[in-house]
Amino acid sequence: MTDTVIEARGLAKTYGDFQALKPSNFSVPLGRILGVIGANGAGKTTMLNAVLGLMSYEGELSVMGCNPSSERGKLMQDVCFIADVATLPKWMKVSEVLDYVEGVHPRFNRDKAMDFLSRTKVPLDRKVRALSKGMTVQVHLAVVMAIDAKLLVLDEPTLGLDIMFRKQFYAALLEEYFDENRTVIVTTHQVEEIEHILSDVMFIKDGEIVLEAEMDELTQQFIEVMVTPGKEEEAQKLGPISKGVTFGKTTCIYKNIDREKLADLGETRRLGLADIFVATMTGEGQ
Amino acid sequence: MNTYIALVKREILDGKNGYIRVPAILAAITIALVVLSATGLGELNLVEDFDRHEIENIGDALAMAKEREGAELPAAVTVGYWMLSVLTWMAFPFVIFFSLLGSLYEERRDRSILFWKSMPVDDWQEVLVKLFTTVLIAPLIFLAVTIAAQLIIAFFLSIVVLFQGGPVMSLWPLGLMISSWFSAIGHYVIWALWALPALAWVLFVSAYASRLPFMWAILVPVVIIAAEGMFFETYEVARWIAIQLGAWQDFAFQGVHPNIDGPRDVLGLVFGRAQWEAFTYSVTSGRFWFGLVVAAGFVFGAIELRKRAT
Repeated sequence: MTDTVIEARGLAKTYGDFQALKPSNFSVPLGRILGVIGANGAGKTTMLNAVLGLMSYEGELSVMGCNPSSERGKLMQDVCFIADVATLPKWMKVSEVLDYVEGVHPRFNRDKAMDFLSRTKVPLDRKVRALSKGMTVQVHLAVVMAIDAKLLVLDEPTLGLDIMFRKQFYAALLEEYFDENRTVIVTTHQVEEIEHILSDVMFIKDGEIVLEAEMDELTQQFIEVMVTPGKEEEAQKLGPISKGVTFGKTTCIYKNIDREKLADLGETRRLGLADIFVATMTGEGQ
Repeated sequence: MNTYIALVKREILDGKNGYIRVPAILAAITIALVVLSATGLGELNLVEDFDRHEIENIGDALAMAKEREGAELPAAVTVGYWMLSVLTWMAFPFVIFFSLLGSLYEERRDRSILFWKSMPVDDWQEVLVKLFTTVLIAPLIFLAVTIAAQLIIAFFLSIVVLFQGGPVMSLWPLGLMISSWFSAIGHYVIWALWALPALAWVLFVSAYASRLPFMWAILVPVVIIAAEGMFFETYEVARWIAIQLGAWQDFAFQGVHPNIDGPRDVLGLVFGRAQWEAFTYSVTSGRFWFGLVVAAGFVFGAIELRKRAT
């Protein structure tokens, strides 16, 4: 059994003159929850599509030991994904969707899917077309969570859903689905909602991976200080990667500076992932 | 195997309007017409001769036919049932055309292709199942509907004739009916193999067109034919298409000089001799095999296009 789920060497994608993904090397091990974070059009979906065998690419890529572009059918035994748009066939009834997946997927557990659906208000005899957006996503999530896959890729899985459902979903993902034998890759704009479940994080900017780190390490690296009045100059000397003003006080963000040293300047706090992302993207964070 | 069953089931479910509803409705209309015309609306005075022979109803007509042309009657009844099935089959070419045209187009348009692609099914499996379901399963459903309709009509007429006191059993030439159903499959398969390049072309367009697949499917051959006519003043492409779509039968039956004298000969020709001629002509015809190669090319193209589609 491979412990590495994805191994990419010089993975790139070009559309004409436009380089959607610059040559990238990365590897994703088993048993992680990786958040891929980037602005719209940064290349997240391009990268994931290559991993899922949905398009051609340059470079070397191995997912679960398969070549995604030529062995997609085989790969999908171990990999499951939800794309960033609603893709469930609208003309099918919910029960027919389950019938179909049961027929083609050897690792689908119908009872599990029914268990998930029983906690929702989704009517099984209704066509997907007639379901609300939230219900459609619930059906799709019930399907993928009932598939015993090694790699689950979720591209903006909770887009357009209300906050209650988003919370429930991530809780279920963590408690009922995820274990050390699976890897989950999530992209989302609502970074705050997933940062507590992520084990790893990857930032993408303009088709380039600008940061790849473990969550624990990353959050320790970045510290924000609310500078005590009068210590502004001292704070400046330590080279903050970004500065701002809150409640009339200067706030500085530092990367890789000893926390005790910073504590002298004022009140310190750890940064959230969203702030780290913004600080990194503004360019100075690197 | 489970995979293929699930895929075919999905295809039938997706196309159930064309595959099931359309033939069922047309067959129901046919049955309704038979019922209406037999129960008084159409009195049997359509045929001039009838008055003279004191024929007042179907029972009488059947009795007279049996008496005069007893040997021909079973074949005549079988041919009659098939003529009543024509309405149902008129929709078939349209169903096949539009099913193929939508098969790889609609899934891209509504993005459900991303769901299908998240399942462990290869693109070649998807494409071949779509072709197979439309070209082979759909006509079997049509045939099943036809058979059901023929049986219902025979049953209904039996009741009518029973009351009128005619020879009911004459309405049930079961041996001929059953062999005609099987022969229909054989005929269809040969026809479909000849038409396969055209059918595969529609499938290819369905995988290629980003919009207006209907225009692509029709206009491309039309433009090619027109261009050939303009620049070379020949019509080889049009001729080729016509031959593949059915004109091949002109060649196949060249040696057949039918001596048709009554329904028995028709049946014997259509379900016996002609079928054999069609088969032997086809497998020895270069055109036939060339057509299959062209079809394979289009199918291969459709598979390659689907691999790249999202």
